[in-house]
Amino acid sequence: MSSDYEFSDNEGEYYDSDEMMDDYQNDEDEEMEGDKYNNHNHNNNNMNDDDYDYTNDDDFRIPTKSKSKSYQVEYTSLTQSLVEKSMKEEVDHVSGIFGVEPSTATLLLRHLGWNKERLIDKYMENPTQILVDSGCQVPETIPSPSSSHSVDDKSSSSSRRATRSSSKLLLLSSSITSPSRSSSAQKKISSTSDSSMTFTCPICYDDSPSLIALSLTCAHSACSGCWTAYAISKIRDEGEHCIRCMTEGCAVVAPDEFIHRVLRDDDDGKDLEGRFEELVVRGFVASNPKLKFCPYPGCTNTVSCPSAASKSVLSMLVPIVSCGARGIPSSSQNPTSTSLSTATNTSSAHTKEHIFCFGCPIESDHRPVICAVARLWMKKCEDDSETANWIKSNTKECSQCQSTIEKNGGCNHMTCKKCRYEFCWVCMGPWSEHGTAWYSCNRYDEKGGVEARDAQSRSRASLERYLHYYNRWANHEQSTKLSLDLYAKTEKKMTDMQITSSLTWIEVQFMKKAVEALEKCRETLKWTYAMGYYLGRGNEKELFEDNQRDLERAVEDLAELLEGGGVEMEKEKENVGGLRQRITDKTVYVQKRNEIMLEDTAIGFQDGRWKWNVGVDGFEEPIEDFGGVV
Amino acid sequence: MDARLRRVNKEIADCKNDKTSNISLELIDNSPFHLKGSFPGPEDTPYQGGRFEVDIVIPDPYPFQPVKMKFITKVYHPNVSSASGAICLDILKDAWSPVLTLKSTLISLQSLLCSPEPNDPQDAEVAKHYTTSKGSFDETARYWTQIYAGGPGKKEAKGLRGVKDEVAIAGLEKAHVDQFEGLGFPRNKVIDVLRRLNYRGANVAQISEDRIVEELLKS
Repeated sequence: MSSDYEFSDNEGEYYDSDEMMDDYQNDEDEEMEGDKYNNHNHNNNNMNDDDYDYTNDDDFRIPTKSKSKSYQVEYTSLTQSLVEKSMKEEVDHVSGIFGVEPSTATLLLRHLGWNKERLIDKYMENPTQILVDSGCQVPETIPSPSSSHSVDDKSSSSSRRATRSSSKLLLLSSSITSPSRSSSAQKKISSTSDSSMTFTCPICYDDSPSLIALSLTCAHSACSGCWTAYAISKIRDEGEHCIRCMTEGCAVVAPDEFIHRVLRDDDDGKDLEGRFEELVVRGFVASNPKLKFCPYPGCTNTVSCPSAASKSVLSMLVPIVSCGARGIPSSSQNPTSTSLSTATNTSSAHTKEHIFCFGCPIESDHRPVICAVARLWMKKCEDDSETANWIKSNTKECSQCQSTIEKNGGCNHMTCKKCRYEFCWVCMGPWSEHGTAWYSCNRYDEKGGVEARDAQSRSRASLERYLHYYNRWANHEQSTKLSLDLYAKTEKKMTDMQITSSLTWIEVQFMKKAVEALEKCRETLKWTYAMGYYLGRGNEKELFEDNQRDLERAVEDLAELLEGGGVEMEKEKENVGGLRQRITDKTVYVQKRNEIMLEDTAIGFQDGRWKWNVGVDGFEEPIEDFGGVV
Repeated sequence: MDARLRRVNKEIADCKNDKTSNISLELIDNSPFHLKGSFPGPEDTPYQGGRFEVDIVIPDPYPFQPVKMKFITKVYHPNVSSASGAICLDILKDAWSPVLTLKSTLISLQSLLCSPEPNDPQDAEVAKHYTTSKGSFDETARYWTQIYAGGPGKKEAKGLRGVKDEVAIAGLEKAHVDQFEGLGFPRNKVIDVLRRLNYRGANVAQISEDRIVEELLKS
């Protein structure tokens, strides 16, 4: 792959020199009209080639991790500061193109969800409109006579909307800022102490002379204390980073420096500066489909996964990523938390790695099943699992509308509450066929009754089928949860082992590795049941279930070895070495089976091999196989 | 002094000094953060002549977060819950701005009474009534104003019936209620079902009597 790029690179150089020669020739053959056309043509071609090469070259320079397994996706973990850096790059780019202050560029980009292309289009179309819409600038209106004292056109437009008290400050504020457009979004800070007129804050009604009045470009002033309290309330209570002017109906947005300036006035506010930064980053991450914020509490890392950015690829791959951090971070962020190494974690506490799915809100590794099916399953479990068992044993379905009915007394003449269908509880046939045979059903063979019972058994079968998958799914989930206990137990065993045998701490690590492998494989197994439930019948499903069976067997073997290992150890203390060997072997085998399971499923998705028995976006029509499959 | 307390005290004083708007604020249980506001019903509306009381709670982050207001007086209005008095108004939620005051918010409530927003209802039943039959709605709203907000014609109403007319409160036709009551159903149940089905104006022709009897039997 790299050799291709090198080749094109060389080509570029070749054309570069060629172009230079052409240019040289062009100068010489200025008068030779016939050749000139050809040369130009040639030149243009060269230019295009150069452009092409350049972009390729650029792509080549982006460091990409090599993709080793087909069930893994490429991704990079970014810290908040790295995201901030790329935000700054975007801002600088836009600010360079438009010739506006970075703070203005920031507000413009945020307004359009960081879509630079759209922003450039809109800005070229009507710069004033977009500046107003994004809250950088007040709308242009006819200057009112009262504002005759204002200096520049910007302030004259704003003064029309200014309140009594703020208009007094207008002269001051406009004299501070230059009338150029680039400064229009800058904060105007003026102090009434310079002024002979007293300032009364329209929010808190304070009029002490020491009051500092602040306003945005709209010149709606308020005292700094109110601005601070307002910003704190917006950030802390509403989680809002787009903080507008306090005046009703005014859409001007406070630039970041302004927010930091007012937050710094207050002890509570100082603590919120970090939160504000985080909210800004979250906004940026949310607007970029290639990025996702780590959903774990307290974590501020971001994962970049360009290969899973579009919804359509989610039917081909399962983008499970990790932000690299583990556990719940303390207030001060650990600088090493972003390292992607997983093996270096030797701390005794079991801290969970921040693994999540890039494509859906599930905060765990739901491989091998794709997001759409995993979500279907979660939804179904939420709806059904709690009550499914009870429904199965206590209710019947209305043969007309399939409503679930519980008979809690009375006679066998049932009337469905929903569709008003009247039927017999015993034979499930329509009541009308019963004639005068009230309160006893002796018409089991009636056609209607047989049909109704068929429908009943079909619906029962599908419920049984669901419970089959659900119970196994829940079982593995339960076991995964219990693995925390297993960790603690294993830890103890490892310590015991060091005392009773000649093994060192490093040598007993195999126990921990085995527990980790077990947990991981149980997670995979759990989700294979969700997948199995929705897989359409056929050879592919049988192969899938064979793989599932092998993995399950291996997992249970290893689990037994670990749980029962202690007892065995007592018996053959001398033979710890043998136990270690067996557990290590089993661990390797389990990992291998897990890999086969994941790999085969992932390849199946890429080849479009899997067929579902329900409608899933991006797949063919479902195979009908609900009837009677257990 | 605490900025919130200073502001609220100033607002209360401003309201007292302002005689033109006819809006009043008074303390409930001696705390300036729990108030009772009242304003007259706007003219040329069914609420004219009534006086509407509003329960006002001022939260800690006030004025940076909106005040909590709800009607104490029962109001028949699409954006006010007929049961709890809860109000659906944008400035009491996300459109709140710290420069808004208790007075200006009460004035906004007054103008909400002038111009209901049936497409963004707080009380769906009332809103349905409003959209199906404006005339009948106005009548009911006027009746509620009489009964609950001390509107004009109260004496006359009392003189005639002596008790609150449940049929008129529900905004229904007396003839319709009598008709189903005649079938042997309790009066309050009939009123409840007819109100729920919005048996008013043009809807009367669309809802079959069987359907009503069915509903009556069900409940």
